[in-house]
Amino acid sequence: MALAATLVVAVGATTMRYTTVVKEMSVLFNGQVMVTSKDAIVVQAIPIFGGMLPQNFTIKELEGIEGIERVIPVLFVVNTTFSGLGSMPVNFSMGIPVEDWQAVLGPMPLKGNSGHFPTNESGSEVVVGASMADQYNWVVGSRIVLHERELTIVGVLDTKMALLNRCIIMPLKLAQTVHNNVGNINIVAVKPAQGYSQGNLTSAIQRKVSYVKALTEEERNDVVQPIIAQIESWNVGMQTIILCMSLILVMMVTVMSVSERRRDFATLDAIGAPLHFVFSVVILETSLIGVFGALLGIGFGSLAALLIASVYTNIPLALFFPSIFEIVPPLYMVQMFAAIVLVCCLGGIVPALSAMRMRVAEVLRAEY
Amino acid sequence: MRIKTLDLTKTYQVGSSEITALDKVNLEVGEKSFTVIVGPSGAGKSTLLNLVGLNDHPTSGKILIDSVDTSQFSAGERRKIRLSRMGFVFQTFNLLPTLSAVENVELPMALAKKSRKEQREATVRLLEMVGLGHRLAHRPKELSIGEMQRVSIARALANDPEIVIADEPTGELDSKTAKEIITLLVEISKKGKKTVVVATHDEKVIEAADIVYAIQDGKVKPEG
Repeated sequence: MALAATLVVAVGATTMRYTTVVKEMSVLFNGQVMVTSKDAIVVQAIPIFGGMLPQNFTIKELEGIEGIERVIPVLFVVNTTFSGLGSMPVNFSMGIPVEDWQAVLGPMPLKGNSGHFPTNESGSEVVVGASMADQYNWVVGSRIVLHERELTIVGVLDTKMALLNRCIIMPLKLAQTVHNNVGNINIVAVKPAQGYSQGNLTSAIQRKVSYVKALTEEERNDVVQPIIAQIESWNVGMQTIILCMSLILVMMVTVMSVSERRRDFATLDAIGAPLHFVFSVVILETSLIGVFGALLGIGFGSLAALLIASVYTNIPLALFFPSIFEIVPPLYMVQMFAAIVLVCCLGGIVPALSAMRMRVAEVLRAEY
Repeated sequence: MRIKTLDLTKTYQVGSSEITALDKVNLEVGEKSFTVIVGPSGAGKSTLLNLVGLNDHPTSGKILIDSVDTSQFSAGERRKIRLSRMGFVFQTFNLLPTLSAVENVELPMALAKKSRKEQREATVRLLEMVGLGHRLAHRPKELSIGEMQRVSIARALANDPEIVIADEPTGELDSKTAKEIITLLVEISKKGKKTVVVATHDEKVIEAADIVYAIQDGKVKPEG
């Protein structure tokens, strides 16, 4: 039971974490149309693979379209490699024009209310996610080397968003230089002018600029929603299968246990124990299996989920412990505990009914 | 409690053949008597006690308890009678292995919803009466077989029943321990003023009996 619970919790929590990360991305670029290259593979308008756009040319073309109030060029890079830091954590780097922080990130506080967002487009100032800062002991004023370029941390983001927690945010020009992509971008955030809908704007953009795709907020969600729904269905399906198998296992083990103790149950019947008492004895036993199995399973499963997250992100396990309840939410733990105990109780019904049918005359006759 | 059987018959179906374990048995167990049922193994003693103890249903015939036909009792009523008016002593003791001596004796009282205080006081008294006042917290596997049978007798007396039904209570015991158990059962009958019915082929038990029924091939006749 504990093994099954471990599997359910570990897989469930891991799946939940990554679907949450994807869902969180929808918070970025709120109220804007996203423009990316047609070749890019996009998750919630974040191009995770391929598709660079020439900045000046693309911006000029977009600015010529009616109904656009503002265009913001962004460079988003996955898997930044740190020189001199040894193994490479999976993280992100985002270049945003200094005047557009708010438009892209929304109201974003900095940790400890200290520091500031970079102010000079060509400087070397960056802000970093809290998870990375914790991992490498970075504080405001720390200097880091990224692709042989020395950068100064001027702020640590105070956010619970997993993506931004693992992100280095810097001025666009600096990002283009650091990532050797001068003059290139891969996202353009387009704010519709008053009276223009996102839908009309995306049609106009795709009609006039043939090499881009434009996505409204709804379309961005539509892209990932079926994938998330499918992942969640698989997760639920797998949990159901594991719990059903556990139910059968608990039932079989308890049937055997009751069969081995048939004399005890027959004795209870002989001394006049009410049937509900015999039933409750067996159900209590299986529910205790459930309680201990669930506690062990939730413990080991949570640990396994942390290990998976640690291996996947290359963040040391110790850094995940303080945020264990973000990876395995307490509500999920309670739900799993209840589900496992319920499964064990259900698994006890058949053996309990069998125990209720044991009669001393038959049992003793079978023994002699 | 007086028990009377009228043409009590019990048959079992074994494969295609029918075995008659009891054949029109008529017997009477008087109030506060020490009744012994003797007979060789397989004669039907245990079957008879199971029927008299309302643990089984006859194929035909009647069992009257205080002149009331028990065939009219529901399963729940039979259960209540077993719990409150009858006590059972088994050849193999049938103590619950996970419970201590005290808990085994307390169990019928707990099932009868007696208070914790009442349960503990009665249990200690009963275990002291059977000579196990010093073994209260021991589990069955920590007791000798004689001690286990004493716990079993204490459990049978837990709800102060009117009748104690003992099926081969000395069958597993050495002669010295068997004698002690017989003495105990006789005391329960004589001093405790309870009806005791014992199935046995132990001569020493027969000597202590008020009435003896001999059973052979499912048929019963009184011996004296």
